[in-house]
Amino acid sequence: MSNDGSTVLKLLALPISIILICLGVNTILGGHITPGGGFQGGAMISAGVILSLFVYGFDKNPIDFSPSFVSAVESFGALFYVFLGLVGLVFAGSFLYNVGGDFFGIVPPMIKAIFHYPDPTNAGIIPYLNMTVGLKVMVGLTAVAIAFSQFKTFEEEQEEGDDE
Amino acid sequence: MIVLGPIIFGFLLGLVVGSRIRNDAEVNIGLTSGAIVLLFIVSIIIAWKLGNFPYYNDFPVATGFISAFIGLVIGKLIFGRSKNTN
Repeated sequence: MSNDGSTVLKLLALPISIILICLGVNTILGGHITPGGGFQGGAMISAGVILSLFVYGFDKNPIDFSPSFVSAVESFGALFYVFLGLVGLVFAGSFLYNVGGDFFGIVPPMIKAIFHYPDPTNAGIIPYLNMTVGLKVMVGLTAVAIAFSQFKTFEEEQEEGDDE
Repeated sequence: MIVLGPIIFGFLLGLVVGSRIRNDAEVNIGLTSGAIVLLFIVSIIIAWKLGNFPYYNDFPVATGFISAFIGLVIGKLIFGRSKNTN
């Protein structure tokens, strides 16, 4: 966690992080037709951010997830997942009904067109669910790593405060 | 026919992460324009080796991967913050 890492490590960590993040996004987007999905892709994005965090340290981390960003993205992911579920409940009578795919033909065509993911597999809302889960996992796992990396600093600051 | 799903949403997801890349002198990471061009070429090679998803016959490369990279770089250039204010 220190900033005294080697130059080679500092030179290569950010490009590798960027490639890992892109690979994670690709995994999220192919979750409905290939192995992977929201959790796996989110974990890969998080791995990229954590690699950068460990090499550059918390203060100089170029990919900087602030607490407000983590909170906003995690809330958006959870709320959009529930929203997609409620759309199915309202228009088809079942929570998380695939309104974009509409295999039973019970959803109005306009709603189906809105939630239809533009690809040849007629996946409906499944890619959107993958994206919401991916966003949640991305910031959630990164927040855990940030918290673990800062416990020692927090304890030291607390001890200094107690001494004073 | 071009499959728009991974292109649009890959770009958006890349933009979200790219908006958090710091861009100040304190963090001297050396991500210059030359490095970005080099990374773009590397990302095209990786996307070509990955190939597109099954049933996606528009391009021989992983369009989600490339659009995520483009979104990440554009997010860094547009929203790259100078300091952590939170």
